[in-house]
Amino acid sequence: MRPGTLALLGDAGLVRVPRAAPLRTLTRRHAAGGRAGELWAGLHLPGINPEKLQQLAVCAQRFTPRVSLAPPDGLLLEVQGSLHLFAGVAGLRCALMSECLRLQVQPVLAFAPAALAALVAARAGKPLAVMDLAQLTGQLAPLPLAPLRWPPDTLARLARMGVRTIGAALRLPRAGFARRVGSQQLAMLDVLTGRTPEVRVTFHAPERFRRRRELSCELENHALLLAALAPLFADLGAFLRARQCGVVELECRLTHRHVPATRCVVRLAAPATDVQRLAGLLGEHLSALNLPEPARACELRADALVPHLPGSNGLWQPGEHGGSAGNEACGLIERLRARLGSEAVHGLTRLEAHRPENAWAVTGPPPAAGHRGAQSGCCADAPAAGRRPLWLLRAPQLLCVRDGLPRRRGPLRLVSEPERIETGWWDGGEIARDYYTAVDIHGVRLWVFRERAAPHGWFLHGVFG
Amino acid sequence: MDRVALTRLLEHPAIWRGRGAAHPRGLPTGFAALDAYLPGKGWPRTGLIEILVSRFGSGELYLLLPALAALTRAAAARWCVWVAPPLMPFAPALASQGIALDRVAVVGGARPLWALEQALGSGACDVALAWARRPKAREIRRLQLAAERGRTLGVLFRPRRAAREASAAVLRLSLEPITAGVRITLLKGRGAMRGAVDLLRPGSWPV
Repeated sequence: MRPGTLALLGDAGLVRVPRAAPLRTLTRRHAAGGRAGELWAGLHLPGINPEKLQQLAVCAQRFTPRVSLAPPDGLLLEVQGSLHLFAGVAGLRCALMSECLRLQVQPVLAFAPAALAALVAARAGKPLAVMDLAQLTGQLAPLPLAPLRWPPDTLARLARMGVRTIGAALRLPRAGFARRVGSQQLAMLDVLTGRTPEVRVTFHAPERFRRRRELSCELENHALLLAALAPLFADLGAFLRARQCGVVELECRLTHRHVPATRCVVRLAAPATDVQRLAGLLGEHLSALNLPEPARACELRADALVPHLPGSNGLWQPGEHGGSAGNEACGLIERLRARLGSEAVHGLTRLEAHRPENAWAVTGPPPAAGHRGAQSGCCADAPAAGRRPLWLLRAPQLLCVRDGLPRRRGPLRLVSEPERIETGWWDGGEIARDYYTAVDIHGVRLWVFRERAAPHGWFLHGVFG
Repeated sequence: MDRVALTRLLEHPAIWRGRGAAHPRGLPTGFAALDAYLPGKGWPRTGLIEILVSRFGSGELYLLLPALAALTRAAAARWCVWVAPPLMPFAPALASQGIALDRVAVVGGARPLWALEQALGSGACDVALAWARRPKAREIRRLQLAAERGRTLGVLFRPRRAAREASAAVLRLSLEPITAGVRITLLKGRGAMRGAVDLLRPGSWPV
């Protein structure tokens, strides 16, 4: 375990290595790989969801640094080194059960010198406490085979042979068992009885970054606040670099004297490691923020770290010799969204529909520019869209009429043949319109239509541009 | 110094020459008459240009469409950003004019000049179009610098009355509709000729 990790997580209240257990002892035992002195606590938690299991694993690190997940519903703790801290197995059982009760899970807890044995006993509903490897086989013998979770047809075959308990399976000749049932199952029995040691992956709590700084004087100006946050950003940069991680969400908390803390969350389009960029984005957010009171302290939090693989940069600058813009586009979206709101940037797409209102849609922002290869192009398959204006009004605008002709800041001159666009009964948006190109007195070309239904109103629907 | 060496020396981008020699490679506008009229034989590839129109919809966007189509359909095309357009650009019409819609981004919101400066300076865009009511001369100077920093073409559409104000844009055009097409007057340009050019309405324009 890295010393830095231990200290940091200790601050955050996540990992508390038992205080009396010196770190060196633990590491020596791990390095030696001595399986002889192990004692495993197996927890069977029927019906637990993965988040809760993770949460429980984090809490279980209070008892021992060697916690291992056995998904979907099991948790294993190596507790030999912690026994004397909790007054033996009984005390540890009490402490573990109360911890589980706090998280509202109902476990079966068993202790055994082999991890799998503890888990199987817990799954079988037997709260065993086997301390000695020599007694393990005898204690396991009456347990059924089902908690081993072998394939159902294997279990059925064994049951036909009259083998229903672990003891009966262990009594079978090894060579015959491997041939008839499978060598994998035989290996599992060896692990169960402690004949072969088992390597379990140790659970690591997800890391997170939290740093707080008390300000020497109360600040309200966002530029000064950003300057006060600079050392925290430097810490964050070192933290992320050391772990080769990036963040997708960064939270800044500003504490005030009287009112609750102000939260300011920066969400990113792609994992970011560059703290300069993060600081810039947070500056945009802060400048849009209205602080109720001056801030006394600031805190940076990044909870979800994502692994970051730095990509290679292009040789050319964007726009130079066809160099493309990848990161720049992400940065631009984030800056615009930070200042203008998340709806501020969008793309456009065309839909196959004959009614003008339905022929387009708003999409997410276009992907960052890259080499698109031999793209078919949008206009290769685009039909000649007749006369379509470059600008469309969100909703048609009623025009006033004199002598049967539409007017808009003066009379409109119709300069084209009508184009009829109609129907849409299948979705309730039925239309019946004759579209014309009209020129107003200033020479602006407009797209107008006349309703074919009774009032025969004239509407403006687009501008040719 | 012989003539070849002198010519090579004068090709240096930092040297600004008067008539004709500035900006040897412009972006073709798609209109032969306009190409011949503009100082760089086309739109500048970098920098801010202003198009002054008396009324929105006088044909100013059709003037840019061939260049926009060429930019968005290039192999490594960057974005084409529309900042605060007064109406919604109609996607089918843009597509039928040859614009690749997957390069088009529309930015709404209350601060068009700030958004335009971000788009121009970011280097993520090939071209950024904006409609602004009355930008100050200082802001236009900032936009011009941002466009040079990001190697982006910025196009600012402004009302006609702004022609009297000074501006830092590299190119300023005034446009008015006439019966057969549009009339374009060059207000400012490096190595500029004075006078106006009339563009006849080509077939791709609406009737």
